[in-house]
Amino acid sequence: MTDTTCPSCGTVATTGSKFCESCGSALGNDAPAAPVATEALDELSPISAPTRRRPTDPPVATGPRPCLVCQGTVGPDGYCETCGAKAPTERDHFRETPASWVAGVCDRGIVHHRNEDAMALLASDAPGERAVLVVLDGVSNSIDSDVASLAGAKAARESLRTPFPQGMGTPASRSGAITQVFGAAAAAANAAVVQVTDPASTNPASATFAVAVVERSLLAYANIGDSRVYWLPDGGPGVQLTVDDSAAQQQMESGVPREVAESSPQAHAITKWLGRDAPDVTPRTGQLELTTPGWVVACSDGLWNYASEPDALAAQVAAAGTSEPLDLALALVAFANAQGGRDNITAAVARVQPVDSGQNASAPDHQEDPDG
Amino acid sequence: MAEFTASVYQNEFLPDGGTDVNAIVTVTCSGAGTAGQTGGGAAGEIIIVDTSGSMGPETMAAAKQAAQAALAEIVDGTWFAVISGSDHAELVFPPVASGPGMVPMDSSAREAASEAIDRFTGAGGTAMSTWLDLAGTIFTSVPEVTQRHAILLTDGENRERPGALDTAISRATGFFQCDCRGAGTDWVVPELRRISQALLGTVDIIPEPSQMQAQFQEMMRASMARGVADAQLRVWAPQGAQVLFVRQVSPTVEDLTDRRVEVNPLTGGYPTGAWADESRDYHVAVRVAAKAIGQEQLAARVQLAIGADVVAQGLVKATWSGNSELTARIDQQVAHYTGQTELASMIQEGLAAKAAGDERTATTKLGRAVQLAAETGNDEATSKLRKVVEIDDEKEGTVRLKAAVAKADEMALDTASTKTTRIKK
Repeated sequence: MTDTTCPSCGTVATTGSKFCESCGSALGNDAPAAPVATEALDELSPISAPTRRRPTDPPVATGPRPCLVCQGTVGPDGYCETCGAKAPTERDHFRETPASWVAGVCDRGIVHHRNEDAMALLASDAPGERAVLVVLDGVSNSIDSDVASLAGAKAARESLRTPFPQGMGTPASRSGAITQVFGAAAAAANAAVVQVTDPASTNPASATFAVAVVERSLLAYANIGDSRVYWLPDGGPGVQLTVDDSAAQQQMESGVPREVAESSPQAHAITKWLGRDAPDVTPRTGQLELTTPGWVVACSDGLWNYASEPDALAAQVAAAGTSEPLDLALALVAFANAQGGRDNITAAVARVQPVDSGQNASAPDHQEDPDG
Repeated sequence: MAEFTASVYQNEFLPDGGTDVNAIVTVTCSGAGTAGQTGGGAAGEIIIVDTSGSMGPETMAAAKQAAQAALAEIVDGTWFAVISGSDHAELVFPPVASGPGMVPMDSSAREAASEAIDRFTGAGGTAMSTWLDLAGTIFTSVPEVTQRHAILLTDGENRERPGALDTAISRATGFFQCDCRGAGTDWVVPELRRISQALLGTVDIIPEPSQMQAQFQEMMRASMARGVADAQLRVWAPQGAQVLFVRQVSPTVEDLTDRRVEVNPLTGGYPTGAWADESRDYHVAVRVAAKAIGQEQLAARVQLAIGADVVAQGLVKATWSGNSELTARIDQQVAHYTGQTELASMIQEGLAAKAAGDERTATTKLGRAVQLAAETGNDEATSKLRKVVEIDDEKEGTVRLKAAVAKADEMALDTASTKTTRIKK
């Protein structure tokens, strides 16, 4: 855990502070606004059935925000005072930059009226030391999945604050220990999702789950559903590390080509999810030793819909032409929106630069955990 | 304390590539109070009566009575003055040659002013620019008066060199408001309309002397009910957008587009004058750059400001949609007032063509007016049009000009042309 610097006045706040002690500004770019205050701005949102917002989510003070389009100021009516662009609510578009080497953007996209994707990030100040990227994609035909996905993402992040145990010192036992940690993280996310679900709901909130943890040269990952983790080493080739729990994946495993499977009507039907009606919340997990510099990308299908093959995604990373994580995440979201933004879009990225970088250009092997 | 609200009626959905956004914004004031009594400065009233040689004995007698009836409506404590106008203007009350040219109303002042009005005699010509200028001078002499309103009565045409009246109107614009009334049929509607439109007042015909007293009472009562001295309509449009027009469309049609003053580079201010408990509708049209389907943006903020304070705001939006069922719809209010605005210009242009002897144009324009009046349910316009044209087919707008038309009916149609009706919301 690290200290936070107030975005308004620059005062360094003590760990865990919600507000700046000097100027009172809300701290922590990891805290999207409580949706309550800004909800009225989004008149097009479907009115959801009974909502059980977690009372522990503190309301975040919203001062004047910059316009995401023209850098003007967003007025109290929710529109830019210069260009008139509608400012998304802080649930519909939020960014996190926990450290200089890690950032994420979670965006409503264009077609959907609500952002049911969620993300929660964590990173050490020291580049490459430790980062956690959590992405949850709320299932859009279930009630309150926007609230549930955010609660789940935060719960998973909290459960992953502590560095991985080392196990008994052997690679196999460490790997097993990490699998257990991911199982606990998925269980915590699931519990949070269930907690905000109305017990009377006939259509309980559900969400996918994708996590990437960078711990020095180790990249560990886990997923449920079809949100993904990619490893895109500089100069390629990129790898899709996670394996979707989806109808498309099942088809692909039976020999249907990716383009066909992922564009079929049922492609996005997921076979595993988090939520009250989830039969099994054990994630698939895996680990990878990183030896070359590159990008770890955790994303929802709102992004990979438009660049599913690792090389296609790597091409977008290259097209962004930036080494700034936030700029890259913004560029990836902008790319998906430019393609139509048919779903919510989340792109969380970590820039990895192993100390011994450049020495070993061969693509590293990655191992699926047998328990995954 | 006066309260303002604004509501917006529009179809915010634009088709792919669509750029023009139309909206009707209804601004409503409640709790306005009484003129000069709400702590925002004192109110002043000036009664201007034509005392030129053309005023016949019957009209003059009625004008005196009407001016005296107006005095009775002025709330005690309101500053006031009476001006008689011919080829020059004269301050007949209070009887002062220098210093403040107005006095606060009380019973003795009311009595003394009545006596001064009794002494009116008709002589000389008609130079309205001098009337407006003197009213301006009198208002200026009492700085505590911040809400300034005049009533102007004439029976004839202005007889001055061209341009004299217009420059006097522009000197008065933004300084005081003025309601104009024409007695009989020898005055010119467009002339008085120029004064009343610039000075944010009304214009009407008083065909019979017997109707004068009631009209004066009504005008003065309406003025006294305006407890909000002055307000400004503001229209913000995004950078790069173009405000196509800003019109008041109810209770009357007034094009405000050219009266814009810059509040800031993106916001224009338009004068609305004083407010009573009332609703006014504004039609705002803005052209914005088209965005992608699914994008939403603000096309205008329509605000009412008192001084520097924005007291009400309505948001005009634009959302691009691929659903033609949404984008093809024209908002009922927008359609209604678009029709009413065209109705006003059809009546005015039709009557002007008729006066110029162009019967063909007159028939076409007045026919279209009949059609629009029927479509928008403006029964007052329909009944006034009936006195000027024979209607063959209301739906098709086929009419014939009547052979013999009373001048007063034609003028009544002209003065009422800008009055609009509302549709139920």
